[in-house]
Amino acid sequence: MRKVIQVDSEKLYQIIITSIVSILSLTMIFPLVYVLGMSLTSQPELIRRDYFVIIPEMPVLTAYKRILSSPSIWKALEISLFRSIFGTALSLFIMLIGAFVLSRKTLPGRKQFLIMILATILFNGGLIPSYYVVKQLGLINTVWAMIIPPLIDSFGLLVIKIFIENLPESLVESVKLDGASEIQQLIYIVAPLSGPALAAIGMFTVVNHWNSWFDALIYLTRKNLYPLQMVLRNMMSVEGMGNDMMNYLLKDTERVASESIKMATVVVGVLPILMLYPFLQRYFIHGIYMGSVKG
Amino acid sequence: MKRGVRFWGKIKQHGILYLLFAPVIAYYVLVRYWPIFLAWIAAFKDLKIGSGVFSSEWVGLENFRIVFTDAELLRVIKNTFEISILRLVIGFLPPIFLAIMFHDMVLVRFRKWCQTVMYIPHFFSWVIIYGLVFAFFSTGSGFINNILEMAGMQKVDFLVSSAWFRPILIGSNLWKGLGWGTIIYMAALTAIDKQQYEAAKIDGAGPIKRIIHITFPCILPVVSFVLCINLGFILYAGGEQILMFYNSSVYDVADVIDTWVYRIGLGSMRYGVGTAVGLFQSFIGMIVVIVSNYLSKRYTGNGIW
Repeated sequence: MRKVIQVDSEKLYQIIITSIVSILSLTMIFPLVYVLGMSLTSQPELIRRDYFVIIPEMPVLTAYKRILSSPSIWKALEISLFRSIFGTALSLFIMLIGAFVLSRKTLPGRKQFLIMILATILFNGGLIPSYYVVKQLGLINTVWAMIIPPLIDSFGLLVIKIFIENLPESLVESVKLDGASEIQQLIYIVAPLSGPALAAIGMFTVVNHWNSWFDALIYLTRKNLYPLQMVLRNMMSVEGMGNDMMNYLLKDTERVASESIKMATVVVGVLPILMLYPFLQRYFIHGIYMGSVKG
Repeated sequence: MKRGVRFWGKIKQHGILYLLFAPVIAYYVLVRYWPIFLAWIAAFKDLKIGSGVFSSEWVGLENFRIVFTDAELLRVIKNTFEISILRLVIGFLPPIFLAIMFHDMVLVRFRKWCQTVMYIPHFFSWVIIYGLVFAFFSTGSGFINNILEMAGMQKVDFLVSSAWFRPILIGSNLWKGLGWGTIIYMAALTAIDKQQYEAAKIDGAGPIKRIIHITFPCILPVVSFVLCINLGFILYAGGEQILMFYNSSVYDVADVIDTWVYRIGLGSMRYGVGTAVGLFQSFIGMIVVIVSNYLSKRYTGNGIW
């Protein structure tokens, strides 16, 4: 008798947790579906159905056409790609070098360097002094204002350093005996073997660059340097595109509800992340997972 | 003398390494330490536009006096504490529960699929998250308001309501980070020996008992570690999120140190006071991390360093 009750409690527990997890997963997916549906709905249909549409009867792409016809979004896409690709490459390059130097255990001053780096995780100067320094360096209204300040992530630097320290000693020793210089060791042994750590930190850096807009908000006043998120942010703000004015000038069928434009804006912002997600999953999440298992 | 020679010899021997490291040092000095140095000076000066940090006038503790007496700033500091504590209290446990549920699920393939889905929002920017919040809470076309209307209730203007600002802020933050927050626990959970569960089952322990006696003790060190890190950010109430979400009608409950420093400190050029309050924020954060790390080490044997 007792055993029967026990089996039931196991089953009941499974049913409860599986349903909770399923419902939570649905709450993650549904907003995206809803936004996609709204973005594809024409203004007449929105009005007819009283702005409550989950799946449009007649999907239209007018909202996307409107967004993608704005030249600022293409320029912004270019800036975002530049900062994500070039900014990340530069970050990884300097972090790899830094991590390599810090992994040399016999280096005098190594401990002081490490303390210098760790301290910045704990303490910072705040927004206004940082702004002042970026200004002093002459980076205001240049694309460098978005690349130089986040160049080194102290935490990422330490992760790469630990990774290099855990590489098999014998590999480095063997080329040392062949008379390889420090730089040759870095280029031929350490850099190629650091791939997994660099991929994980690189993914993190790419996403950070792609999603940043606050730095553009404070350091840039020239709109042609705005990254995608900044332009999306401006579109999202109330009637960012002067939509009503444009609707007034357009024929009835070409009218777009500002709601649809906002929703299409969200989709435009979400798509690149979803396309990148399989790689994020592979390098970043897996990397973190493995890293913390080891640690 | 001899020691000195040996020291310089060592430095020379590693010359190339120092050369390689020079850009890293330059970065830390210019981008990280120079602002800290400037902050400690500017916080005690009456910094005006056009005059440099060094040429402006010393005012002693005047900026800090303003920070701790000005009614608006006191409200901002109070909001900062309230929002970040709420965020911590509400956001801390759900990822732990979710991780345990993931861990206990027997449908492994379905679980993996759910995990994949739930990590995604972490990678969305606040601009995107605001777009999603708008889609659900706006009065014109918001999903929630449509439901309310269908149910015969009054529409609620969530986005400009002081009462709803914090629930929406904290709720969307929880939504964004829920799945991602489980990762750190999942790593500790997979390390648990499965035989312990089998043994407990044979002894007649039900699912809840197993969580209390096996699962939870195993992840406790990680829990205290995460708590310790989160406490360090106690005065960072998520400025970027608030900056994206707020508007002038909710300043009374939404304005925090980060947004105030941006809007008034930088925007209205109250540099001295803005620097002082930023320094206060950074300093409190540091103290809290050090104290919580000490407590965590003392009571669980685990700390950040």
